[in-house]
Order: sequence, then structure tokens, then C-alpha cells
Amino acid sequence: MSHRIALGAALLGALLGSGTLAVPAAGTDPVDPAPTRKDYDDLAKLPDWSGVWTPVISDQVAQEKSNPPPWTPAAAKQIKKMYAEEEAGRPFPVIDHCFPTGMPSWMLITHNAFEVLFTPGRVTILGEGDGNRMRRIYTDGRPHPPDPDPSFHGHSVGHWEGQTLLIDTIAVLPEVYLAVNEAVGVPNDGDMHVVERLHLLNSDTLADDLEIRATKILTKPWRTTRKYYRQRSQKYEILEGVCQQGKFMEAKDAAGHDVFVPITFHDNVPIGPASK
Amino acid sequence: MKSLKLAAVLAGAVMSVGLPARAHHSFATYDRTKTVTIKGTVKSFQWTNPHCVLWVVIQPAAGGDPQEWTIETTSPGVLTRSGWTRHSLNPGDRVSVVFNPLRDGSHGGGLNSVTLLDTGQILSASFGDSEKPELK
Repeated sequence: MSHRIALGAALLGALLGSGTLAVPAAGTDPVDPAPTRKDYDDLAKLPDWSGVWTPVISDQVAQEKSNPPPWTPAAAKQIKKMYAEEEAGRPFPVIDHCFPTGMPSWMLITHNAFEVLFTPGRVTILGEGDGNRMRRIYTDGRPHPPDPDPSFHGHSVGHWEGQTLLIDTIAVLPEVYLAVNEAVGVPNDGDMHVVERLHLLNSDTLADDLEIRATKILTKPWRTTRKYYRQRSQKYEILEGVCQQGKFMEAKDAAGHDVFVPITFHDNVPIGPASK
Repeated sequence: MKSLKLAAVLAGAVMSVGLPARAHHSFATYDRTKTVTIKGTVKSFQWTNPHCVLWVVIQPAAGGDPQEWTIETTSPGVLTRSGWTRHSLNPGDRVSVVFNPLRDGSHGGGLNSVTLLDTGQILSASFGDSEKPELK
């Protein structure tokens, strides 16, 4: 890590007033220090985001119509065709491949729950649905690395402004779709930058105000909001989601063992057991 | 755009009585303009993400060999919020199943609801009713 970046991390950390900082010594790779008792005590000052958050799907649908992304002409042409294909019963498989939906589409179109965990220096969002739905948001004051490995969820740093968590995300894989529903979206093609403000609208509604910059497919930043309702009942806690499991059915093998056997799919929907 | 507008109106109408639940992939593959009801016996019910699947065996009214139908529905989490558990359907249960069929006539569809014929219990696969905070 360069001196300039190390200094940047130190300054950013100081500005954000975070507790324990991963401030690297010049010329060394940064190390996460052991959290202190104060770091844990400080978590109690954060807003109560406990429980499980379920998306307000009717609002997703309403926003899809009332506030579509400012697509470039080329993207808009594709999007129009995808809507027509969906209407005709040939939905484009935006998320059928069992990859994570990725950022920011997870926050935009999910039908599944997520939970938010606070630990010193980090906020973690764990979702249900596609096997690896997890966001690590570093709140220890670090900057983005100079050359992060692209990933489905990108690299996220965050900080608190009062009761609002600001999240800055870069390094999302260019192949990840910016989707407005499960059949309509285009790959972001790289250079996407997502800024979010996560905050409570009221005691049991969490809002994510998103500003999405994707210069390859959008003509200007797209600002939109998604809402999630809190559930506290234990029966709504997050379930394991292993996407590939949905491509198999439970069966017995010749020795009587419980095994998974492939399901036959047609147009991405299951139509029966695989031929024996 | 006329058809899209109509679709929007229809979607709104469906929403008020419970939007067909979807997850993972679009359920537009199923013909939502058609509703089919079959009566049969549960062969198995798979309670897994990203989608649950119900396998039903029916005896065609016209005779012939029993048919196995594959009825896909949404995720365990979404169904739980509509009152389901993984024990809601069990092998051998006699059921009436309402679904949107595959367009090509294959023995499959997207679930709307299941009625357990021995108890009369109706299990709905819609999330409209469960879209609120602090569900009990």
C-alpha cells in the first residue's frame, strides 16, 4: 500500500470518527486490530435494525413503472424487447443461472428477506435466496482498496451520519445485471458506482435510498428507493438458500441412501424428474 | 404499448387479491391468463430455496396411465409468511391444485393455491396478504 493511500485511510478514519481504526503503518499492509470493549459498547449507539427485513414487493412493482432507470438508447431498446418477451411468456433469465443477484439488483428486486448484523468496524447484510447473498460493508474508516477484485456484491465502505448508514460500493462485476425485475435488466458493463443511504422510515420500515451510476448503460445517475418491513417473529428468520439445491429433488439411491437427483428443466422451470 | 398497459391493469387487479408469488426467476413462463385445477395425490413436496416444488400424481379422467405434474412455487421464506411450513403438504395427501400452466402443455405449472381435500385447508402461494411488518 502506498504512503498516500495509507495517509488517506488514516485521514478518512479520523474524519469519520470511528472507534478502532485499521490504520496501517506506512509501507505495510493494513491489519485489523482486535476490537476493544468500547468498540462493542459503541454498537449500542447504532439504530435498532434487529429482526428480519422483508421487501415491500408491491412498492418495487410500482416503482418499476413510475421511476424506471434512465437507460441509454441502446439499453432502452434491449429493455423494451425484454418487456415484450416477458409479456409473451418468454422471460429473459436475468437471475436463473444461480449466481448471486448481485448489487444493486438484490436490493432492488428481491422477494426474499435479509438481516443486518453490526460488529465493530463492519456492517454485514445477509440475505436469503441465491446461495451467497452477503454484503460486507466496512465501517472502520478504510477507503476502497486501489484495485479491488470485482465481485457480485462489489467492495463496500460505509459510515454513519446520525442514524443513517451511507454505503459506497464499487468493483461490481461488469456481468452483473442492473435489473428492474426478474426478467428485465442488462449487464452494468463495468464502472458502476452505487451510493446508498439506509435508514428507518418509521419503527418497522427500513428504506434504502440508492443512487446508481452506471455510465455504460445509464445516461445519468438513477435515484430510487426500496422499502423493507421488519419481522420479529422467529418463524420468519432467515433460511438457508442454496440455489443449486433447487435444481435437484430428494430421492433414494440403490443402496437406500438419501440423495439429490437432477430435475429436468424446460425454459428454466422444472418439469419433472430427470429421465431414469 | 396497449398490451403493456393492459398488463399493468391486470397486474394491479391481481395484486389486490394476492400477487402470484415469484422468486429466483420470472414466472412469466407460466401462462397467467389461464388457470388449471387438478385433483390428485401428493408424491412429494420439496421445501427448498430458491423455489419449492410440489409433485402431484393424477389419474386422468379419460383413463390411461397416472400422470405426474410438477408444480413450482415460491421460496420457503415467502411461503412461511403466508402460513406454510415444510409439513404443510405430505406424500399421500389428497389435494386440489390451482395453477397457471406451462404454455406448451407440459405437465407443469406455477402454483396459485392448494386445497387439502381431507381437511379443506387452503394454502395460498401469494405474498400480497403477508406484505406488512411485524407479522404474527
